[in-house]
Amino acid sequence: MQPILSVHNLNKYYGNQVGCKNMNLTLYPGEVVGVVGESGSGKTTFINSISGNLIPDSGKILIETGNETIDFLEISESLKRLLIRTELAFVHQNPRDGLRLDISAGGNISERLMSIGQRNYGNIRQTIFKWLDKVEIDKSRVDDFPRTFSGGMLQRLQIAKNLVTSPKIIFMDEPTGGLDVSVQAKILDLLRKLVRELNLSVVIVSHDLAVIRLLADKIIVMKNGEAVESGLCDQVLDDPQHSYTQLLVSSVLQV
Amino acid sequence: MIELNKITKKFTLHNQGKTNILVFNNLNLKINPGEIVALTGPSGVGKSSILKMIYGNYVFQSGQIKINNHNIDHTYPRNIIELRKNIIGYVSQFLRVIPRVPTIEIVMEPLLEINSDQDEVREKAEKILLKLNIDKNLWNLSPLTFSGGEQQRVNVARGLIRNYPCLLLDEPTASLDSVNKDIVLNLINEKKDSGSSIIGIFHDEYSRKYLNAREIDITKISDAK
Repeated sequence: MQPILSVHNLNKYYGNQVGCKNMNLTLYPGEVVGVVGESGSGKTTFINSISGNLIPDSGKILIETGNETIDFLEISESLKRLLIRTELAFVHQNPRDGLRLDISAGGNISERLMSIGQRNYGNIRQTIFKWLDKVEIDKSRVDDFPRTFSGGMLQRLQIAKNLVTSPKIIFMDEPTGGLDVSVQAKILDLLRKLVRELNLSVVIVSHDLAVIRLLADKIIVMKNGEAVESGLCDQVLDDPQHSYTQLLVSSVLQV
Repeated sequence: MIELNKITKKFTLHNQGKTNILVFNNLNLKINPGEIVALTGPSGVGKSSILKMIYGNYVFQSGQIKINNHNIDHTYPRNIIELRKNIIGYVSQFLRVIPRVPTIEIVMEPLLEINSDQDEVREKAEKILLKLNIDKNLWNLSPLTFSGGEQQRVNVARGLIRNYPCLLLDEPTASLDSVNKDIVLNLINEKKDSGSSIIGIFHDEYSRKYLNAREIDITKISDAK
């Protein structure tokens, strides 16, 4: 099996300041990779640099589409935009960053569909209902504005909006970050089910080791912009080798 | 078949004065298909560590672990993920699940990895839950509020719903009453008879005898202790 996404020696600087450096990642179809580390460690810079939100200074990003391998940093801007609308998706920590609050919930979901050329109103409406159902938002809310939604509903709407075009690679930056724990549990359950049903490949950033343990197959531990340890998720968490990972794991509060 | 050859395992605690703890030195062990091996020895001797090395949770410094001829090699996490999906099952001591997910779905999950027929999988999950005396009223509730014994049986149901060629059991009967203990032991025996290689930790003599397990005292097979 071929990795669907591979990142080689990626570097991103802000002037002289290291954003992230020497980063590598291999993501196979159906796999979830978690990126952890304290705030300021470069997690968000890394995920933004590999998803098209930021332009890295150097490195290679290869995306396998099935028929060809795309060198993400070398392709034209228009092809990149198309990829971002179709094969890739980005779920923001704050759903308000990933949604348009001044158009209806249904409109938010249909936008991605229409941007890839779907025009049939009936079909689009069907797809919207299917996705509202999948993320457990009541159909009756389809024409409501997202600003009338709760935080948890907004996050689920953002997930629906992103997954509607069946993207192959999903990037998530702290998707349960601002949510209370009962809503977090629901989103985690939803994400796990979607990953299995749709064979999604996911890169997820979180500072919450418990979230990563429940979702991820593999893990990258970052500190000061670099990966200090990476590997199988429960191995790194159960038997951490690097002193920083040991510190991180032993700092988690027990409930 | 599970094989451990010349395993060395140590823990280095970087933040606690770089303390080195040697757990195993030159550890050798082999579990054949259709066989149950029970690890024995005082607590702290590394019984769970052996299971965790086989499952890939713990790294080892030297030696070889082979599962049906596949190497456990941490430079290729993908391979370990595949082995867990297809070959090794693990019943851990404690249930670790997402809060609010119903029991029935937790039990179905491992089987859904290889079978997408929801109805068929649900039927199998119901069957094993019935067998393990988990009340029907509890199936749609999260097991996190269940009693210790019920949680353990949910964990067993989840681990035994599939037929893994290799099975790791970490005290699967520790908090069960005698009736339920026998039920779980019978299920384990069924897996053995179907050809699984099984290695486990069983705290009581009764379980080990019931399973007709080959007992191995860890202090006698590793030079470390």
